[in-house]
Amino acid sequence: MAAFDTAEVAPRATRRPKLSGRRGGLGRVPAFAYLATLPTLLVVAAVVGAPLVFSLFLSLHRTNPITKRWIFVGLDNYAALLVNSDFWAAIGRTAYFAGFSVVGATLIGMAMALVLNERFPGRGFLRSVVLIPWAMAPVSVGVLWSFIYAGDYGALTGLLNDLGLGGLALPWLGNGFRALNLVALTNVWSQAPLTALMLLAGLQSMPGSLHRAAMLDGAGPVSRFFNITLPWLKPNLFFISVVATINALMAFDLLWIMTRGGPGEATTVLSWLGYLTSFQFLRFGEGASILYCLTILSFLLAILYTLVLGPRSAKRREATAPQGDAEGFAEIRSRTAPPMATLPPLRPRRALPRPLADFLARGGFALLALLILLWSALPVLALVLMSATPASDLIRTPPTLVPSQLTLQNFQTVLLPQSGGAFSTSVQAKRVPLALMNSFVVGAVVSAVCVALGSFAGYAFARYGRRRFFGASLWALLLTRMTPALTLVLPFFIAYRVLGLIDSRTGLIIAYCSFLLPLSAWMMRSYFEGVPVSLDRAALIDGCSHVSMMWQVLLPVVRPGIVAAGIFCFLASWNEFLFALILTSTPQSQTIPVVISGFLSQAQFYEYGPMFAASVLSILPPVLVAFFFQRYLVQGALSGAIKG
Amino acid sequence: MSSITIAGVSKAYGQTPVLQALDVEIPDGAFVSFLGPSGCGKSTLLFCIAGLEEVSDGRILFDGRDVTRVAARDRNIALVFQDYALYPHMSVRGNLAFPLRQQRAPEPTINAQVAWAAHLLGLEELLERAPAELSGGQRQRVAVGRAIVRNPAALLMDEPLSNLDASLRVKTRTEIKRLQRELKTTVVFVTHDQEEAMVLSDRIAVMNGGALQQFDEPMTIYKRPANLFVAGFIGSPQMNFLSGDTAPGGHGEHRLVGVRPHDLTPCKQAPRDGELSLSGELALIEPAGPLHYLDVEIGGQMIKATCADPSGLTPGAAISLAAPAASVHLFDRDSGLRLVA
Repeated sequence: MAAFDTAEVAPRATRRPKLSGRRGGLGRVPAFAYLATLPTLLVVAAVVGAPLVFSLFLSLHRTNPITKRWIFVGLDNYAALLVNSDFWAAIGRTAYFAGFSVVGATLIGMAMALVLNERFPGRGFLRSVVLIPWAMAPVSVGVLWSFIYAGDYGALTGLLNDLGLGGLALPWLGNGFRALNLVALTNVWSQAPLTALMLLAGLQSMPGSLHRAAMLDGAGPVSRFFNITLPWLKPNLFFISVVATINALMAFDLLWIMTRGGPGEATTVLSWLGYLTSFQFLRFGEGASILYCLTILSFLLAILYTLVLGPRSAKRREATAPQGDAEGFAEIRSRTAPPMATLPPLRPRRALPRPLADFLARGGFALLALLILLWSALPVLALVLMSATPASDLIRTPPTLVPSQLTLQNFQTVLLPQSGGAFSTSVQAKRVPLALMNSFVVGAVVSAVCVALGSFAGYAFARYGRRRFFGASLWALLLTRMTPALTLVLPFFIAYRVLGLIDSRTGLIIAYCSFLLPLSAWMMRSYFEGVPVSLDRAALIDGCSHVSMMWQVLLPVVRPGIVAAGIFCFLASWNEFLFALILTSTPQSQTIPVVISGFLSQAQFYEYGPMFAASVLSILPPVLVAFFFQRYLVQGALSGAIKG
Repeated sequence: MSSITIAGVSKAYGQTPVLQALDVEIPDGAFVSFLGPSGCGKSTLLFCIAGLEEVSDGRILFDGRDVTRVAARDRNIALVFQDYALYPHMSVRGNLAFPLRQQRAPEPTINAQVAWAAHLLGLEELLERAPAELSGGQRQRVAVGRAIVRNPAALLMDEPLSNLDASLRVKTRTEIKRLQRELKTTVVFVTHDQEEAMVLSDRIAVMNGGALQQFDEPMTIYKRPANLFVAGFIGSPQMNFLSGDTAPGGHGEHRLVGVRPHDLTPCKQAPRDGELSLSGELALIEPAGPLHYLDVEIGGQMIKATCADPSGLTPGAAISLAAPAASVHLFDRDSGLRLVA
């Protein structure tokens, strides 16, 4: 009977001429393909599309949170923005912040990528370490750096004191412009690894023979970087700057933790202004219009990216076109031959003797590698050190980095709140174990759901991506990745209140799935594209149904992709802050980033120790993943790189 | 142009030896091929000459000058890569000019020399195109052009024809040979295609497992292979090997008798003196144009023979084969070495 089914399926799969789908479709799109993408598309439409429309609708109204009345005002909210000096100031700061972040992350990411592309002992270790700042939650990054920059007792001031340079200490975040720069620098610190990963991918796709050829052509390292490497990376660099710009536009968690838009309005960028207007002043309509401007800005960037990328892929196709090889060397030789030029004698350029030059090159490289290691690891080590420092040491003046003793007290306080001990555990610290639990449950369920649904959608996109329906859906997915979460969170909040999902883990799971499902579908698509279509055909001919073909043949083949997508979704949901902040209110459903941020809101000095302990616990999964699943994390970053 | 001396060169990656104490002398203006199966170390040796790989032991000399520790960029060597390694973001003109720019040649010299190379290779119409807009054969010519444009001490080629289709490959190799004769360049050519090596080379270095098997003129290698490996590797279809005790002639079990299919033909009359004669059952006739291949089962072993006219032969029937005495090769079974005969 199975054989009979095969006979039905097989001709359909093989009858078509091979040429029509160069990248491999399987002929007429089977219903299975539509079914496979349906859940993902529904989720995207319902959970990203609808809120976007709702947001747009909202931005055309003025709302009153008390009377709950909505008044239609047309484009008035937008018109008001145009004459609002705060808005333009925020735009300016956003541009500065984005520019600083993009340039900084690109320069540092380039250095990292160049170093990590070389072979040297310890490269795997360094790759893992470099990933950590990016893998850890922005909230933890913010907590870490705000304490480093803290005025009287901060780690940076402490370090300067310890070095006898106390006179250089400043109220780091006290000055407006300096604060903006420091927040942007922190953003660079957490974003540079992503840039490095994308550049590294570009470097590794470069044929090794290019550099060898240039070497033989007499080009030195500097000349080769500018003549070969940089032009090769040009498309990557463009993509990277778009991604980094969008990430910078959406930067929110860092600002929330580090400066809350201050001092004064010095760090009030567009996203913060939108958040403030919506959730602090509760002027939903005006807030939505600001956030919509942000959304449009990132869409424009996304479209720009598409347009620029488009011609490039067209060109690549053209590359295989000309086949006129008929003419040989000599056919055109009948015309008078130009004489051979007299070349200048080859002069050796090397000013330094080879051993010395080699030594200097090796030394310089080692120095650069060391700098990258310190840049990535020192702040994280500082966090670990602070979590093992008695709470009273952290607020000493004059500050110092050297703890009076190392203690596990802080961890005990947050992990075993009942055990008491010398310090009474505060209300906030008691929430940590439950929050870790919540984060874990949410992350596990989200990654399971996203991988299950995303695999099927990814398969359909990989095989039928050239069909209009799937192509369009694919771009829709990509656009949802470019939607700032801030735009989505307000409609979510309102819808959840109606549905009674506020403050539940289920609510968080649904929200996270909504924006991680497109990501996992996108990632799985790139994995399925690496699987030859002949495997599908073989499975169908051997008597599989579409479902058993997926289950028995394709899913085992793309297992690395499944692991990568799962890990990536888990980390993204583990680190997420904004939705968790807005959609939860009690410890029953709060996740670890929310609880950590809660420590800051309470601003009780003796709580710093437990807060750092909680932060260390929160970066534990990302660090473990960076060390043990580095490959998968890299893979995830490369295929889903749109969001930091 | 230079001569190249490879003196006792060894190379190892960690514990794995890749090249084992190689000695090769490449005279000025000669065309020399490194021939061997993939993984035999021929490309590695080429990269060692170019300076892209460090040798673990031994010396490399250009015109008697030791360049073992000289950086690749200072060796004045050109290399045509298997994938051509054209700079994708530069036009054909940019690619051709690049090595000259790196030498800081004055602009008029660069233009003149690019024009010279473009004319020589028929690239004049293509100068403004990007590599992506060229066909495989055109890319190959640009790669050769970039290699010769600055008059290198030697031209190295790493399987430069392997990405071309069969007919173009035959045509291009003739052009390469002609170019080499015209420019009188020293060329080192790496290939795994024995026919390519035979046609092109003044001398062939046959390599296997990182060791040099034989270094000689093409026809000497064909006619007097130094050992079993060379005998089996050179010539297509492969040489037949028979154990000395099964083959007539009383060579004993410590010897192997080798005979090329082209030398082994059906015979009707009794064997003449010294001739190798075999008899068995004809299994298959394979027509191959000018001649036919015969698969003959002799003592449980399949032996390949040839004949011009297969009329009168039927598969399944008994057949007698003979080869002239001069075409019989004798090898020592244990050492694999050719026994002088």
